[in-house]
Amino acid sequence: MTSNDSRTMNAYLERLRGALRGVDESEVREIVQELRSHILEKAAGGDVDSALAALGGPEELAGRYLTDSLLARAAGSRSPVRLLRSLLRWASLSLAGFFVLLGSVLGYFLGGVFILVALCKPFHPQNAGIWTYRDTAGDLGISVRLGYGNAPGVGAELLGWWIVPLGLLVGCGLVMLTTHSALWCISTYRKSRALPGSGTEDE
Amino acid sequence: MPAPIKARQVDEPDSGDKWEVQLRKGCLELAILATLWGGKLYGLEILRRLESDSALIVSEGTMYPLLSRLKALGLLQSEWVESEGGHPRKYYALTPAGKQRALEMAATWSRFSGSMSRLLAPLGKAKR
Repeated sequence: MTSNDSRTMNAYLERLRGALRGVDESEVREIVQELRSHILEKAAGGDVDSALAALGGPEELAGRYLTDSLLARAAGSRSPVRLLRSLLRWASLSLAGFFVLLGSVLGYFLGGVFILVALCKPFHPQNAGIWTYRDTAGDLGISVRLGYGNAPGVGAELLGWWIVPLGLLVGCGLVMLTTHSALWCISTYRKSRALPGSGTEDE
Repeated sequence: MPAPIKARQVDEPDSGDKWEVQLRKGCLELAILATLWGGKLYGLEILRRLESDSALIVSEGTMYPLLSRLKALGLLQSEWVESEGGHPRKYYALTPAGKQRALEMAATWSRFSGSMSRLLAPLGKAKR
């Protein structure tokens, strides 16, 4: 292998390493070492360029490793924050990931609002709660209020103090349901993949 | 007329018959487990074994991530062994779970291909 070949190979492996961010360092080291060994052996009977071409672009190759590593980690997490972080990365790799992220963000947000309203009610009974009101067009609307600020002048409050237990119940339920749904989507997606995809797109 | 078999199109869903690509992809996991039935091999050996023993020609860019995935699933284990060339090679071997999985998949495959052959027998006669 000439020094030029060596440079080409190292540049490829560096790009791969860069594209593998998010994967455990020890795993990245193994991947890079295995591919280096593969390229060296292939290039001994041919040239580096064709060996690299057979591997595909470094970003595309990294995408194949990444999705698997990410989903494996996401499937093992129960904490919404860690789950969301994995989903965010998955969303950048595939459309399926994007929709699961969207649904999860919505679910966690709604759950969080219910919990917050329930927690704020004892301290700001005038401001936290659920109200129905009629807007200017006469349509019936529902408004969830929490925190400081003025109480909505018009409209009737629903639930009253019941919002405290119900809000906590519904909020926690939504958070749990969202976690379960996201994990279900992840495990279904993993099982349905006969292969580590084509990198950035779903098949 | 069926499309001619294109052995080299495992990785290009757009350039070949989509059904055939999916079929090959579905078989690849079993094919890799089967190559390791006789003992440990490293990546390039697995590729060459697939190439010589079957029509399954796989690109490196597909196979290495798949090996990594099978290892993460606990079906394969790996070890580094120094080679004469000076660079260490990563050898893969079946774990007990991998052997179990290979046997199950092989049994399913035999059942499936048996019934498909029976079903397709009239088509073979029609061709002749």
